[in-house]
Amino acid sequence: MIWEVFRQEEPGDSHEHVGNVHAPDREMATLFARIQHARRMQTNSLWVTPRDEIGEVTAEEAAFGGRTDKSYRWAMTYNDIDASFAEEVADSESKQREAARKRREALREEETDA
Amino acid sequence: MDLETVMERAGPREFGPGDDLPEKYRKAATRMIQFHANSEVMGGYLDKTFTRKAPSLDRKLANTAKVQDEIGHAQLLYRAAETLGVKTRAEMLDELATGDGKFLNCFHYPVDSWYEAPMIDFFVDGGAMRRQATLKSTSWTPYAHAMDKVCFEEGFHVKHGESILRELMNGSKATQERMQETFDVWWPRILQFFGPTNDESVHDDFAQAVGLKTATNDELRTSFLNMYIPKAEKYGLEIPEYPRLYERDDGTMAVREDDLDWEEFWTISRNEYEGSKEQIGSRRRRQDAVEWVRESLETWESSAGPTPQTAD
Repeated sequence: MIWEVFRQEEPGDSHEHVGNVHAPDREMATLFARIQHARRMQTNSLWVTPRDEIGEVTAEEAAFGGRTDKSYRWAMTYNDIDASFAEEVADSESKQREAARKRREALREEETDA
Repeated sequence: MDLETVMERAGPREFGPGDDLPEKYRKAATRMIQFHANSEVMGGYLDKTFTRKAPSLDRKLANTAKVQDEIGHAQLLYRAAETLGVKTRAEMLDELATGDGKFLNCFHYPVDSWYEAPMIDFFVDGGAMRRQATLKSTSWTPYAHAMDKVCFEEGFHVKHGESILRELMNGSKATQERMQETFDVWWPRILQFFGPTNDESVHDDFAQAVGLKTATNDELRTSFLNMYIPKAEKYGLEIPEYPRLYERDDGTMAVREDDLDWEEFWTISRNEYEGSKEQIGSRRRRQDAVEWVRESLETWESSAGPTPQTAD
């Protein structure tokens, strides 16, 4: 049986997928996960879950984030407004800019491939 | 874990669903997150009024996107509250419909003009974002995780709100005057957004002692005033003479509390204001109207059983 492993680095972080292990039951899965995924890496907590229990939808089936122009929902669009007056607004904008950049890159790669 | 240990350990993202926490902590956290979730729902319902009032397609699109975000925030927050094991999501939504659920003062005032959009989208959202940024360090981890996503999205709301204000204040003299009139009405409500001063606040002490809250009402109000008054003035809005503001000895800004209508505030906090009834009622009627969607989802869920079936 395959178990997917999620590792949390520090308390308060989200658990992130790091790989999977082969194990007959949950107890063994946690043991193997500890050995394979938490021996060298800093770890606060590990999750294991049977692969069959995970639902998946991929970019082939779904248009994530859509393909239509939705620039109106990004902070950067309102570029006549200066966000620097409030740290949290500026922070949100820079994170949105980064997310938009990554998405554009992915789209470009997709177009190159096709 | 006993309360003493909770207070000793209290810090950013210190506790999670795996911890055995005392009832007092779980109840206080539920109260706080449920209030926050309810406010996202009621803010979203209020905001959707602006989609019709918006003067251009761009503004309408941005507004629907914002409403969608707010309802999404409510979903995240009800989940974060549910993990405390005190109330289910269904219970919290029912309480909102029956008028037992509490939410932010500013969302008890029905809106009916586009001039009110920047009041909610810039000033109220800006204030909310100030508070939410500090809640990234709350001690209840699922709440902090919800704040990560909420704060990521909110930057667009605040900037869009400011963009509306800027546009209106660059309009005709009549437009500017109407904007000022609207601001005069909303300003005291916005000042009350952060609640009464710390001495008057009912729940602050405990929430801070256990790390649920990381900033006081006074600190948040002060930083809000220092950031948003210059913004209002930049666009030509005049800060009303009342309620009077003054500078404390330490240079921070404060409001003369006697100048604010606390009777109205406490009426609102009991959901007994005229606007409270209107807002709660209109949301309940819409909720009832789509009961059949929830019913069909539940029927599907209970018939599907533990092993997923293919749709036929």
